Amino acid sequence: MSAPSSGRLWRVAVLSPPLLWTFVFMFIPYSILFVYSFWEQVYPTFQPAFQFGNYLQIITDPQYFNVLSRTLKIALFVSLGAMLVAFPYAYFLVFKVKSSALRQVLYMAVVAPLWVSYLLRAYTWKTILGTTGILNSFLMSIGVLSEPSSVFLYNQTAMIVTLIYVFIPFMVMPIYAVLEKIPKSLTEASNDLGVGRLRTFFLVTLPLSIPGIVAGFTMTFCLTFGDFIAPFLVGGPDGLMVANVIASQFGAALNWPLGAALALVMMLIVLTIVTISDRFEQLGKGKFA
Amino acid sequence: MNKKSIFYGVSLAALCTFSMASSALSGELNILTWEGYADPSVIEPFEAATGCKVSATYVGSNDDFAPKLAAGGGVFDIVTPSIDTTKSLIDAGFVQPIDVSKIEAWDDLYEKFTSAEGLHKDGKIYGVPYAWGAIPFMYLKDKFPTPPTSISVLWDPELKGRVSLWDDKSALYVAARLNGDMNIYNLTDEQIAAAQAKLSEQRPNIRKYWATAGELVDLYKSGEVWISNTWGGYQSSLLAAEGIEVVEFIPEEGAEGWMDSNMIVAGTPNEECAYQFLNMASAAEGQAGVFKVNGYSSTNPVAARTFMSPEEYSALHQDDPGYMDSLLLWTNLGARLPTYTNAWNAVKSQ
Repeated sequence: MSAPSSGRLWRVAVLSPPLLWTFVFMFIPYSILFVYSFWEQVYPTFQPAFQFGNYLQIITDPQYFNVLSRTLKIALFVSLGAMLVAFPYAYFLVFKVKSSALRQVLYMAVVAPLWVSYLLRAYTWKTILGTTGILNSFLMSIGVLSEPSSVFLYNQTAMIVTLIYVFIPFMVMPIYAVLEKIPKSLTEASNDLGVGRLRTFFLVTLPLSIPGIVAGFTMTFCLTFGDFIAPFLVGGPDGLMVANVIASQFGAALNWPLGAALALVMMLIVLTIVTISDRFEQLGKGKFA
Repeated sequence: MNKKSIFYGVSLAALCTFSMASSALSGELNILTWEGYADPSVIEPFEAATGCKVSATYVGSNDDFAPKLAAGGGVFDIVTPSIDTTKSLIDAGFVQPIDVSKIEAWDDLYEKFTSAEGLHKDGKIYGVPYAWGAIPFMYLKDKFPTPPTSISVLWDPELKGRVSLWDDKSALYVAARLNGDMNIYNLTDEQIAAAQAKLSEQRPNIRKYWATAGELVDLYKSGEVWISNTWGGYQSSLLAAEGIEVVEFIPEEGAEGWMDSNMIVAGTPNEECAYQFLNMASAAEGQAGVFKVNGYSSTNPVAARTFMSPEEYSALHQDDPGYMDSLLLWTNLGARLPTYTNAWNAVKSQ
């Protein structure tokens, strides 16, 4: 075997697992989905065709716009909420907690729930927010409420709270990672040059942490956008999200073509968001790094 | 090295023969069915008697059968859809004809069910009737001093956030009946739109649409819901066991009726076990199980006499063909199914 050809072989060997992965788990399934999206539903199931009826239906029937915009709204609230909680927490861990052992423990406290089943964590919120739940009992015991309120569970707020809780590790981890990498010397230099703490935060620390925030935001957003358990567990009659509609097209309606078209539209939206957030991240790097 | 590979070879061969031998002696049955239909009290004696091992997967709605079978893979051997779904499965080729001469109890079953249109195609029979009942409504006894008699109570503004409906296209059947449209399985587009509007109007009253039997029980137990529709006899008995007093009623607008049948999935490799299961299910053992666990009526009135007291027999309308006829027995929606499903999704997406 000659040296150049073994080099080529080596390159192929290194590249082929990811290529194979992409081909088998991305390209093939999405191609099938793409083909399905032009098929048509005919009793009792569906049959091959080439027509744009499914996409037309998504555009013309207002229920799809409603569900998509509701899902966008909820995903946005969850990502924002998670960010507002996660950033101070990560900041506190990196800059305020002096003991590294304590920092480790507090970090694990956020990440550890990931080891527990999502369903279990979401169920827990049912027992907290329910009419006879912990929150109501607490509010009644301190005299804020005279009788249990039903406003905490089975609505969009309950979904947002549950999803923030479920996905917050994905926000804390990347923010923690970038904050930890910011050299202390930078903030010290800023302070030495007479810049106050607050301005140092906004001029040095925050810009440098943008990649982490963007990464966390993107992950939380995409996870929420595709969620369909929270509506089922803690959502009310107005809780339907786009993943539930897709599930019902593949299930109840036995309309895989429409479900496939919806899935592709959803993927397009997610891709757009990932692209935009990527731009944001580049922006942060170009300007500040 | 040689020794090792011989060892592996021998153990592999032994493993193969062993698994082949065991599969020849016994089969495995995967059944796709409803909660309570594969209760250990019925399954364990069946497994012991036949050597057929049973694993059950549960559905939350009749709409779950076709997609799971359409996904292929030869996973399931037996399905237990209701009479509104059987025809789609037959037409799609998901189930195979049944040789009823192998079903000992066939002639004992209600003729109304064995002759049901949804079980027949081209002179062949595709299902063995298993259980039947109504979709009545149910309420917490202490919350209703005057017992409700009409579906309209579910729209009563007094019951804001206290109502639950099954998360199923059948919500449209309820709303249509309230609108006075009794042809619930053959609604026109206008009637569906009217039912959809009625359901939108009802939304402030809805606490949660229930998806599984267990969820509805939880909703009552945790005090979230006071009134809902239900799978007659089932959730009410689960709640009674928890000490929660609920009352079922058939509203003046009538109730839907259902009948579940066991069907054999086309091309199953476990036909032998499947027939044994169908025989057990339609005979006294299986019928007693569905009655004791779920509280549903029996499709085998002859066998039912052996395990029901005379009071239970009449309470479950086993001797009352008029009751059976008064129910609006679920019917396959055919090509209209997507229209119904779409309307139901539209209600939930507002």
